[in-house]
Amino acid sequence: MISNHTMDNADFPTSNLLPLLIGFALISAFGLAFGLHSLVVGHHHTFGTTREVPWGILITPYFFFACLSTGLCIVSSLGQVFNVKAFQPIVSRTVFLAIITMATGLMCITLELENPWRVGFYSLFSPHPSSNIWWKTTIYSFYLIFMIFNFILLLLKRQKQARIFATIAFVLVTLGNLNMNSDMAILGTRGFWSENYMPLYFLSLSTLTGCAAILFFFWFSKKIGGQRDNSESESENITSGTSKLFMGILVGILYFTAVKMMGGFFPQFTKNPEAMFLLVRGSFALNFWLGEVGLAVLLPFLIVLITRGKNPTFLAIAGLSCLIGSFILFYDLVIVGQLIPHYHQYHVVGLPEYYSYTPSLHESMITMGAVFFFLAAFIGGEMILRKFSMQ
Amino acid sequence: MRNFQINVNTLEKADTERMETIPSTERRKFLKFGLTITGLFLGGSVLSLKTVGTGHAAVGGGKALAMDFPYSPHYTMVIVQNFCIDCERCLDACRSTNHVPAHGYRTDILQRAIPVNPGENERVFMPILCNHCNQPSCVRVCPTRATFKDKTTGIVRMKIENCIGCKTCMAACPYNARYFDEDKRAIDKCNFCFDTKLKESGGKTTACASACPANVRMFGDLTDPETDAYKLIHAPDNSLWVLRPEQGTMPNVFYMNS
Repeated sequence: MISNHTMDNADFPTSNLLPLLIGFALISAFGLAFGLHSLVVGHHHTFGTTREVPWGILITPYFFFACLSTGLCIVSSLGQVFNVKAFQPIVSRTVFLAIITMATGLMCITLELENPWRVGFYSLFSPHPSSNIWWKTTIYSFYLIFMIFNFILLLLKRQKQARIFATIAFVLVTLGNLNMNSDMAILGTRGFWSENYMPLYFLSLSTLTGCAAILFFFWFSKKIGGQRDNSESESENITSGTSKLFMGILVGILYFTAVKMMGGFFPQFTKNPEAMFLLVRGSFALNFWLGEVGLAVLLPFLIVLITRGKNPTFLAIAGLSCLIGSFILFYDLVIVGQLIPHYHQYHVVGLPEYYSYTPSLHESMITMGAVFFFLAAFIGGEMILRKFSMQ
Repeated sequence: MRNFQINVNTLEKADTERMETIPSTERRKFLKFGLTITGLFLGGSVLSLKTVGTGHAAVGGGKALAMDFPYSPHYTMVIVQNFCIDCERCLDACRSTNHVPAHGYRTDILQRAIPVNPGENERVFMPILCNHCNQPSCVRVCPTRATFKDKTTGIVRMKIENCIGCKTCMAACPYNARYFDEDKRAIDKCNFCFDTKLKESGGKTTACASACPANVRMFGDLTDPETDAYKLIHAPDNSLWVLRPEQGTMPNVFYMNS
């Protein structure tokens, strides 16, 4: 059973959060307006994508938020589906975070499409089951619906029914995550990431980001509630299971990061030597070493190690660092593979060594809008959760 | 240890291993093996490729061979690479015939500098276009069947009203054969002039092939022994290759030097 402890943080009135909600919503609307403008005039005029590099930065928040949602669902399922007690106190808020992250991801991919209004109709009436993207979109849409029902039932304290929806959502999101890997692997034609370890890597990465988000946003939730210092120990208890899981997966991700490094330095260890060189030793090296290695793995690892995973504030810093690093990681994952020229082995005159891509103003603003959409939704969720917990 | 000694007299009396001494049947078998591994006969029976029929390797000849192709007509193009002089008439013909906008192209000519000796390159022009693969990764990834293998001809075509503009097919294509047409708000690509020149000519030629003054682009039907493309592909002395064979897409555009 899920403890009523999930509905904590009722100490302060929801009106305190209203200015923050309005501020985030306004910034989000400003950013997303660039997306609407792009839809009207066409991406050709507003996006930095090209024929050679057709996927831009907007795929990054989609992958990032979808994987984040997967991780959050996995962590919440540990408490809700698998009855691991250490994770039960965080179920409600984690389920809510999973919903808004997936919603944000789907919004990003919608704005990345040139004709998003055709998706619903043709996905239904001209489906292509051989396409990983079709499966992914369908699975994630159903997952979102099941998670929303799960959340509503949790709010209504109907735990048994909620658990059924949670179980289905957990299965769906795992399948969706595997599809995401296949989606990338099929693009092995472009020197994308088709390494054998990718399915496990995606799943581990998703769980890592899920844990990181819990560590940060549970702390943030308390801070914006203005709770006193004595709540720190309470937070420590709530997220102690998550911090242990976070530490364990960090070790696993360290291994995968080392595999990437090996690929960059020794071509025989990779199927994509050109892309790995570009990532580890080429123009993306700063992203890799600072973002993927430093922020995503090493810094959180050291923080957790030094503080022994007991200080909520430092854990929140570790979580935020991991989230930022993971975002950079997903950006590299999407972009680097596309930069290998199609005919690079044909000695073509005038062909660059690597294609180039720089996010445009529109793409950057839409990404910012998406992030603030998530933050606004988080604040909105805090208000809902607190309102329900006060009743 | 046992000693092996080469008897020069025996070697001198032995048959040579030059091409003309190999029996015709062996040469034909070798050629067919080569075509099989380049994907010509395999047709593409990957589970996920629903639009591609179940073609099988045919090691017969003439009619039996033709009947085993997955499509009829099974359109193909042979590029006689060393004939190309980069006059770009094919590109102009493609643009005007298929109303290709200025921001895109369906076909292009790349210039290669092939190293032949240290510090010495041979300049070669290499026309490129959609390879109408038997296992097209673009078709595989499309979520709404906006791009598909034509069930009759094997041409990779577009149904533009289904295109959601996700551009995954562009990312998946190993030949850079696709672009997003802002005017149509859909992906555009070479379709062997399916709705233009091919239709007008009764299935005989494409705009680029008919405009080429040097017979570089030889359009034809793999099931019709009368077409030039068929003859070039089946001539035992011709060496053919496809682009990026490591991708396993089984292209239907072949390259050769005359």
